[in-house]
Amino acid sequence: MIIDSQLASFFTAAALIIIGLYAALFLDNIIKKIIGLAFIGDGANLFIITMGYKAGGIVYIFLPDMTVNWFAQNASYPLPFALVLTSIVIGASTLAVMLALVIVLYKKYGSIKASKILGAKQNQETENSIKGDGL
Amino acid sequence: MSLYDTIIDKIKQVQEYDKEGEPVTSIAASSTLAAEITLLSSILVAVIMLRYFSNALMIIAVLLVASIAIFAMPLMPRFKREQNDSLNSMIFYMILALGIITTLFYWGSLNV
Amino acid sequence: MNPLIALMVIIPITCALLVNLFHTKDKTVKILSIVVALFLPIIPLFTSYGLHYFGGYMTLAQSPVLSQWVPASITNSALNIFHMGIMYSFGSAQQIFIVALGIIAFLAILTSLSETKKASGVYAFLMFMGVASMSAVILTDDIFNFYVFFEIIAIAQVGIVIASKVKGNLEAALKYMIIGGIASPLLLLGIALLLGVTGNVNITDIVYSIKTGLVNPQSPVLLMACALIIFGWSYAAGLPPFHTIKSEIYSRALPHGAALLQAFSVFTLAAVGIVILRIFSYLAFSKVIIIALSLAAMILSITMALMQTDFKRIIGYLAVGELGYIGLGLGIGTSMSITAGLFQAVNEAIITAFLFIGFGTVLYLTKESDIRKLGGMMVHTPKIALLVLLAGLAMAGVPPLNAFQSKLMLIQSSLNAGIPELGIIMILLSIVTFMTFMKAFYAIYMRSKPKGLKISNSKIPKATIFSLVVFLIICIMLGLFPQIVTNYLQPLATSLI
Repeated sequence: MIIDSQLASFFTAAALIIIGLYAALFLDNIIKKIIGLAFIGDGANLFIITMGYKAGGIVYIFLPDMTVNWFAQNASYPLPFALVLTSIVIGASTLAVMLALVIVLYKKYGSIKASKILGAKQNQETENSIKGDGL
Repeated sequence: MSLYDTIIDKIKQVQEYDKEGEPVTSIAASSTLAAEITLLSSILVAVIMLRYFSNALMIIAVLLVASIAIFAMPLMPRFKREQNDSLNSMIFYMILALGIITTLFYWGSLNV
Repeated sequence: MNPLIALMVIIPITCALLVNLFHTKDKTVKILSIVVALFLPIIPLFTSYGLHYFGGYMTLAQSPVLSQWVPASITNSALNIFHMGIMYSFGSAQQIFIVALGIIAFLAILTSLSETKKASGVYAFLMFMGVASMSAVILTDDIFNFYVFFEIIAIAQVGIVIASKVKGNLEAALKYMIIGGIASPLLLLGIALLLGVTGNVNITDIVYSIKTGLVNPQSPVLLMACALIIFGWSYAAGLPPFHTIKSEIYSRALPHGAALLQAFSVFTLAAVGIVILRIFSYLAFSKVIIIALSLAAMILSITMALMQTDFKRIIGYLAVGELGYIGLGLGIGTSMSITAGLFQAVNEAIITAFLFIGFGTVLYLTKESDIRKLGGMMVHTPKIALLVLLAGLAMAGVPPLNAFQSKLMLIQSSLNAGIPELGIIMILLSIVTFMTFMKAFYAIYMRSKPKGLKISNSKIPKATIFSLVVFLIICIMLGLFPQIVTNYLQPLATSLI
């Protein structure tokens, strides 16, 4: 092995976050921006999972033939896995809402360019009236 | 040209940028002036707080802000243009701020 | 163990689900929402202080049944006193925050139900969901649980904006989500770094690990964690560079929605600020960054508020600017300043809600929020005009209203801490805040009515007037007797330094 697998995962996480930031900053296509955001979230999740990794560790399930001491020394750290599961669910739901909004805005503008839909000019309409009773 | 005319001109430029095409009202002019004065005076006072780190830094910063105040006078229209609602500029400033905060932390925790 | 602590989160969530269940049954939804909303500020009043452990497990030291199975190498280490599950802690400061949140939520929900025809729908659901998550953020002592509920608040905020039929709401919502999509993973990364250094997500245990030297407090990983959490904090609260999007979000929601949205931001600011101070107060530089961000928020937002022409945007920027006062209180870092900062948080949440709902009546009557197209409202609604004026005076800090007391305390504490510049800036910006407010007030109420303006003849709902009067009474009460709140906040502030 050229590089320790935990270290490699950390580098991958860093790369994912940097690529995501690049995409969010420089790409004009909103879908591509959102893919970049998913990269950032995945990078953060990968980082947390990697922290729970233990070289040669076992899954943290206590089987009858294990002694408590042996288990405490060899089991990997379970907390990060539980956290990541929650974090992935949150990420998926925000992603779904974002993509739904993109669909609605695409129908309205016929474009998914951030500079066109979410640029300064569309939103500087100071006129801010509401329709009906607003709901 | 007097300062007031310069400011009115700048407001007109910003409004052309916004393509609103409305005449410059007295409310808009006076609030821009007030914002300008508030911005400069509060930044000047805030910069004086740098004396807690180093006096030389404070003097340089005060002189810098004062010279900006004199030579680039109507700052507020520029500030308004920068703080627009465009997503791309928001993300740009956000990542800039992230960079500044994380970098400053290493400097700051060693020096403060 | 106190079951009422968990109920503060569970009741609004249950109500949110029931509101969805009774969809299209407007009357049931209305009664249910109002009754539950009324309970929101009442429950914390009757809850005794304490801790709530989810799953029932406290620490190994307190659970003899568990600890007999665990090897001595663990029970003899610090792990013995680490908490095993998610923990909610309810103290006097949390009580005040949740009561204030409950009052704002109740009045916002009451106003929304009376000003809009559709009672059932996602709007009420999102409001309750947001309130539940906000209570959880205030209560939780677990930094990951905090992150989860923080994300739910973000989605609820976006949902409230999407549900309002205000021009440009979808664009603003998408922008907020994209920006959140960058900022919240970075906050998560900060939490992950903390977890990596201390092996723990319970804030009490993290503080214990750092204070007793189980981990190296000067570790650069902790510095990075602090930087990232402060960045996430500024996103949560709307400090620069997020002040533009936060004020836009407020202005694209309906006024009653915006009243609740800003309360979420204010209490998140206070709750996360407390967490940052608890964990990182040993880093002197963290306070410098907090002060710098707060000053930037005050200066940039209040000057930007002066430049706006939409009254919802003006209040939005003012609300973000006022957040700076809370941040300054936390950043100065003395017992008095933290008390003042938290007191200002309670005041500001109430006053800004007051202003949003008060100016909301203009939107209700005219469907217009551009101050250049408004005018002459004084003739139509003189009583509301008076209430709105009082709200503006309260925000600027005029005695005998509540923000006067907290701003006075803040200025005094900055003088005592030897930073008079902050006091000067606070006074200066208070004056400009008032001026900004008067600009909007003059344009809407005092100048003559423009020709094109259509004012509908419908009456302002009684519930709206009731809400405004309640807000006014609270403002005067807290202005005359600030001890009602400060005595409750003092213990927390003292424990933070």
